[in-house]
Amino acid sequence: MGELEIFLQILFWGLYAGCIYILLATGLNLIFGVMKIVNFAHGEFLMVGAYVTATVFALTGLNPYVIILFSMVVLVAIGAAVERFCFRPILGTGKLNEIFLSLGLIYLFQNLAALIWTDEWQSIQSPYASISIPIGPLNVPLDYIIIMVVTAIILTGLHLFLKRSRTGRAMRATSQNRKGAMLVGIDVERMDVFSFSIGCALAAAAGTLWVVSGQVFNPYMGSIPAVKAFAIIILGGLGSIPGAIIGGLIYGVAENGAAFLLGGIWKDAVSFIILIVVLVVRPTGLFGESGE
Amino acid sequence: MDRERLIRYLSLLVIGVAAAVPFVSGTNLYLLNVLILMLIFIIFSSSWNLLAYSGQGSLGHAAFFGIGGYASTLIAIQSGLSPYITIFLGGAFAAGIGVLIGLTCVRLKEWFLAMVTFGFAIIVQAITVSFLASITGGWDGIASPRLVSSQVPGYILIEYYSILALTIGVILLIYLIFKSKIGMAFLAIRENEIEARVSGVDPVRYKLLAFAISAGLAGIAGALEIHYFGYITPEIYGIDISFWPIIYSILGGLGTIAGPVVGTVVLTVLWDGLKIFGLTYERYIIIGAILILSVIFLPKGLVSLPDKLAGWWKRRGNKKLRNQA
Repeated sequence: MGELEIFLQILFWGLYAGCIYILLATGLNLIFGVMKIVNFAHGEFLMVGAYVTATVFALTGLNPYVIILFSMVVLVAIGAAVERFCFRPILGTGKLNEIFLSLGLIYLFQNLAALIWTDEWQSIQSPYASISIPIGPLNVPLDYIIIMVVTAIILTGLHLFLKRSRTGRAMRATSQNRKGAMLVGIDVERMDVFSFSIGCALAAAAGTLWVVSGQVFNPYMGSIPAVKAFAIIILGGLGSIPGAIIGGLIYGVAENGAAFLLGGIWKDAVSFIILIVVLVVRPTGLFGESGE
Repeated sequence: MDRERLIRYLSLLVIGVAAAVPFVSGTNLYLLNVLILMLIFIIFSSSWNLLAYSGQGSLGHAAFFGIGGYASTLIAIQSGLSPYITIFLGGAFAAGIGVLIGLTCVRLKEWFLAMVTFGFAIIVQAITVSFLASITGGWDGIASPRLVSSQVPGYILIEYYSILALTIGVILLIYLIFKSKIGMAFLAIRENEIEARVSGVDPVRYKLLAFAISAGLAGIAGALEIHYFGYITPEIYGIDISFWPIIYSILGGLGTIAGPVVGTVVLTVLWDGLKIFGLTYERYIIIGAILILSVIFLPKGLVSLPDKLAGWWKRRGNKKLRNQA
């Protein structure tokens, strides 16, 4: 009973951590699909999203699950600006430049945040923090369940947007064939802005879910999750959203398992061990078709 | 060639100035400290740049920096050898690890490689504080013998000149490599791996060689820093330690010999200059902004600035002539 309980607990923690990774990875994937760029600074958007939510929560006391929308809107604006003024000028000038630019963005965002909000660890208390629901042998905090539901709603919404709406279809067309999309009259630069902004909004949602769960946060919180999200999309296949979901869940569970069995320091290391093993065996990723 | 000669004279001038500094400043500890760290980071950045020259951009070079530091320290403690010998042993050990890491990387490109190297720094840190904690001291770290014992009079000057000599040696070595067949092979692989293979260059062998040299030099730099500080902790594997050589090299000029040197010097001066104004986070913000601007507007780095200015000056002159005509 005891062991089963621990196993379920780890599984549940993993699912919750996985939700945050899935949101980050899906955003990165969307941006990569349309623009073919990799933004290592994606985690900084998660961090800004977390702080926006925490600040609005402290000022107004609104339900943080409502503030998620506001935080996403703010990040849409920031994302659009970053796309327009940083990534668009270097589009097509080589992959290394994208990595370097992201490094600059990481320094910029982290330290602006530290200036505004200080670099102390902070946390907020969700209004449901004291409620937990018994599921089987576990007492599951209500927040965790809401977080999973919110993630599912956002992903379903994104799925419908991409499949049904005209803009969503134009975005998919751009990601399949940029030149072809141009030829049929799609404004691909506009699709770049949309994909980047939506990616940032998803990161803001991830950041919000991070803070409402009661986890501590500081301006440097985003870097490692972003790199892991990137590892997840390599694992799950570039451009594949189901792949990102499966990869995110695998990572969430593997990490928490490793942290329990080997100690906290291995939490981050184990995700890179998985990545390296996968890349050694398949340099294009688990479900990847062609290497980049 | 006129240009080549100019660069040669300029390098000699720089070396002369570096050698003369202690005579002018006396033993100003603060200044010497800044200069020593600058020299160490010139070696470190140049090692990163060498790897990038072969088309492999590492995001986890702190792994080799730290491995060199730990290996040299542990060898020095166990064997009682002088740090002057162990820094090279530490570098050799880092080079060996570099080949192993390189083996997993040779089939990967750009950001897949970036991810794997980033991950290695984190994995190496985890190993250092868990499995190897008994010899590395875990998170607390361990004391490391100083390069020159502080009982020796003028020890900091001896350290400064030793490190300066080593830095010059490393840059000379990289210059020779870039000029040689090996450098040509690196360049060929970076530009087009298939074409390189067609012309008889074995990409795997040369990529591993690049990894070995780069990791070895980074290891020497790490060992130097540790023996200079006299202490090592796992923080040496930090993400920012991996990022600095990248920033220095890009700002100075990627894939050139002078680039990492110029970038390190300019940013060190800027960094310590801003410190005088009491800025903390703002310094990082400024560095971040400079990095972004230089990637967008000066992708070939500061070393391309003279050419760019000359071109601009010429165009301006032509315009003037046309207006007069």
